[in-house]
Amino acid sequence: MFKNNKLLYSAVFYIYINLLSTPLELQAEAPDINPWFKQAVLLKTYQQSYDWRIPWEKGDISTQTGLGLVVSLPESPKNLSSENVKSGNLYLMTTAELVANATLIEATRKDIRVPFQGKLMSMDFAANLALIEINNAKFWSQLKPVQFFSAKSSKNDESKSIYSLIIKSPDEWDFESGSIERMTIGHREKSDAWVPILKISGLSKSRHGYPILQDNKTIAMVLDSNRSVAKALPAGMLLEFLNRVGSDKFQGLTHRGFKWRRLPQGSIKEYLGIPENKSGIMISQILPHGTGSDVLKVGDYLTTIGMLKISHNGKINHPNWGFTLFDLLFLDQYKAGDYVNLSVIRDKKPLTLNTKVKTYGNDSNLVPMKRVGFPPRYIIQGGFLFQELTIDYLSIWGKNWRTRAPLRLRLFLEQNKTVMIPKNNNSDNNYDTNKIIPKNISRVVLVTQVIPDAINIGYQNLSNAVVLKINDHSINSLLDVSKAFLKPKNKFHLIEFLPGSERMSVVLPFEELEKSNHRIKINFRIPKLYSL
Amino acid sequence: MKFLPDRSKIFILVTILSISLISSSYGFANSDNIEQSVFRITNFQQRPNWKSPWKMKNTTKGEGSGFLIDDGFILTNAHVVSDTRILLVNKLSSPNPFLADVVAIAHDSDLALLKVRDHDFYKNLTPLKLGGVPDLQSRVRAYGYPVGGHELSRTEGVVSRIEFGTYVHPGIDSHLLIQTDSAINPGNSGGPVTQSGQAIGVAFQSNLNLNDVGYFIPVPLIKRFLIDIKDGTYDGVPEIGIETSPLINKHHRKYLGLPEESGGILVERIVPFSSADGVIKTGDVLTKIEDLKIDAAGMVNYGEQQVAFYIEAENRQIGDHLKLQVWRNGNFEDLLLKLEAPPFGEEMRNSYDKRPEYLIFGGLVFIALSRNYIHSPGNLLPPLAYEHWYREVERPDTRRQQVVILSHVLPASINSGYTNLRNFIVSKLNQEPINSLSHLDQMLKKIPSETEHVVFESKWNNLPIVLNLKKSLAQHNSILKNYGIEESSYILNNTKNNY
Repeated sequence: MFKNNKLLYSAVFYIYINLLSTPLELQAEAPDINPWFKQAVLLKTYQQSYDWRIPWEKGDISTQTGLGLVVSLPESPKNLSSENVKSGNLYLMTTAELVANATLIEATRKDIRVPFQGKLMSMDFAANLALIEINNAKFWSQLKPVQFFSAKSSKNDESKSIYSLIIKSPDEWDFESGSIERMTIGHREKSDAWVPILKISGLSKSRHGYPILQDNKTIAMVLDSNRSVAKALPAGMLLEFLNRVGSDKFQGLTHRGFKWRRLPQGSIKEYLGIPENKSGIMISQILPHGTGSDVLKVGDYLTTIGMLKISHNGKINHPNWGFTLFDLLFLDQYKAGDYVNLSVIRDKKPLTLNTKVKTYGNDSNLVPMKRVGFPPRYIIQGGFLFQELTIDYLSIWGKNWRTRAPLRLRLFLEQNKTVMIPKNNNSDNNYDTNKIIPKNISRVVLVTQVIPDAINIGYQNLSNAVVLKINDHSINSLLDVSKAFLKPKNKFHLIEFLPGSERMSVVLPFEELEKSNHRIKINFRIPKLYSL
Repeated sequence: MKFLPDRSKIFILVTILSISLISSSYGFANSDNIEQSVFRITNFQQRPNWKSPWKMKNTTKGEGSGFLIDDGFILTNAHVVSDTRILLVNKLSSPNPFLADVVAIAHDSDLALLKVRDHDFYKNLTPLKLGGVPDLQSRVRAYGYPVGGHELSRTEGVVSRIEFGTYVHPGIDSHLLIQTDSAINPGNSGGPVTQSGQAIGVAFQSNLNLNDVGYFIPVPLIKRFLIDIKDGTYDGVPEIGIETSPLINKHHRKYLGLPEESGGILVERIVPFSSADGVIKTGDVLTKIEDLKIDAAGMVNYGEQQVAFYIEAENRQIGDHLKLQVWRNGNFEDLLLKLEAPPFGEEMRNSYDKRPEYLIFGGLVFIALSRNYIHSPGNLLPPLAYEHWYREVERPDTRRQQVVILSHVLPASINSGYTNLRNFIVSKLNQEPINSLSHLDQMLKKIPSETEHVVFESKWNNLPIVLNLKKSLAQHNSILKNYGIEESSYILNNTKNNY
């Protein structure tokens, strides 16, 4: 009898433990698939980027597939087409990665197997979101916009349980179950932007634009997935994008305007005059864009944002998500243009700084991040190919460009730390290694290669040389190059490079330049010698 | 001389080489005497650990070759005998090793001179005479002890090129070298390359990426070395101290107003404190050296071919003079230049036979940036590269005696929070600029005892490193003991550390 009871107890205990530990037991019922046939469409894109090594040529064509979610905009975009108005202001939302540099976007409804041609209407590459319009009322017939809802705070297993729509084949749509791991702030390397990310495990088939559902409500959209972990943009960010994208106010992703570090230990706190019990983070670099960039200083100790205290490792107690990185506040609690108080300790004294919440700004970096949809900028003069140093250009050294690109070029990424471009070879004033780059230094201009021609014999080994001056004019942009070539010196153009280049100066004869440019254009089949 | 990693094309892999020679005596003098005078050299070497500079690495055994020259000395490569603990020399087909010592070593030109302790070693040996520079396509023989066997190897080939190239052992120096088409194998280094019974070079490196490309050091550089060490010290190969660019482009020559057929190369940089500093100017066109006309590519006639004009400097001694002609301000001018040792610091070359300098304070390990350090795994980082290479070229006026790096941290309670720090370039201590490791050591010793904090700042990091002085001093010995370190510093020309 005793033995039997023991067995019974063991069996009950085993079942109980299994019930507790198996998420499937708590899994909500799978959502109804039918409404999604009217809320999502298949997208196929043909993408062709540029060849930054040969900037007048385009690269290979690639194709990608994903989903476009039917969305409606609260505000009518200026360039709205008449068909769209008739269709109830509907658009397709998907990831920027899916449509970046697309030469053709095809949208296919599940019930109409003929693809419709889509047109990229707006894109926020930093946040990885894009909006597509389709100027055909037939396409929009009976389609319904997706409603987005905030995800429930993940306090228990039940609220972590989600479903993702997946497309097994054009005819077979289904759901895949997964689980929210956490809300986090992800660094998007291609744009150097920080965005809130819902990390979801268990999803193996999710792709661009797939919706994430919790309790039959759409709470996020998948950006990408790696093995069984998908990264999804939460509803708050999607709604913010939709709220602004159609209006003149659209400014892109709200973002912090600084880099920070945690204070390593007590001695430095004492040295900086920070009370021992005061938590916060040290501002280590001011970005050229974003919230706080106008009021914060390197060395400030940031203690609160609005009313929320920042912990020693940069976290705040978020009303919905608990302890998470403070970036989430700028991204989901404050909107661009809102005012926010930043409390800091500066020079051992507390200080409250009031500033506007600002957005991400790609172009303000000395070495700008990836630009999508724009052809490379360049100038060719006498076979010298002038290009600005950009992340796109550095990417020609492949995925591992951060270790493979020439060291000297990579040094320009340390832009706020060391001024590397001497404006005047004999002046020490421009060399203060702790100065922020002066405003007039906006870009690093390179001669990336020399296209061989009779005019440049003897210079043809030159590559990736940093241009300091042309005809005694300092060069800080391609526009400067263009202007400097209007002012030759004694019938010659003198181009000077950063010391340490393959050579430090070259000369082009003014009178022979036009003929040479013409020869090069014909000889190398270059459609245009200027692309600004 | 080339400073920068992007410009210097260091592609040659050092091997210990031998040029296989079929046993034909056609066209050569009696080879028996030569063979008796070529030795196997075994070097038990010990290199320092650059990551933990108070430690040495495990002892390794290397083998190379050498040959007897006049006065009972054995000539070989520096890389064969560097960092030696014990050197053994074996004669032809003899199992008995003889102990030998390094008498002189020239790391810049990869040459060394040895002396065997036992005089009996030299019985019945005939030294090799040094010959001249061979003609192109003339046949040469090389002797040595490459891998793949124990007996002497004889190889044969022709001279395929005579030109300037990078000597891999120092890493930064370019000198005249002679290329031969013989196969190259590890173990040949230091062996003689002969022609007509005379040594015309020392085999020293090869290019493993190419077939049949081996190099030997020519006699002029060997003779320069032997003359240099006559006073008992090695002073080094002199450098002019300029960076030049070819003037092949006719428009550039016209822009500079150069007369037709004048040749010449453009001087684009003067290395501060070099031989050229104050004599040659940026913008000069160097047209002649020692009455030899320099062409637009920077070459001068050298026997039947042309080599870089630097040849006229590298065969001279420090203190010698060079006659130059430059095109300056529309006129030719004659200049006289006194040759000096290369002005760049030893840290630019690969380091041998030296312990790395270091200093430990509060568990922070400080070292002086060097070529060996930056080429250690994971250290080729843009900020270190800037400090090591680019600052010298771009901002020579801001160059410090040494670049001090906090290489890593020995974890202790005093430095908690900093334990993951690596490669922190230290610019200032308590707001005073640091010029060298020795300077940092002196500064630390002079900090007043009432000072509360020790603050290390970097131009590359906005957040300083702050340690409590009293606690750092209190924990100093226990940190050393904990990590088994006997000396808290090793700094050349400095007193023993005592905080």
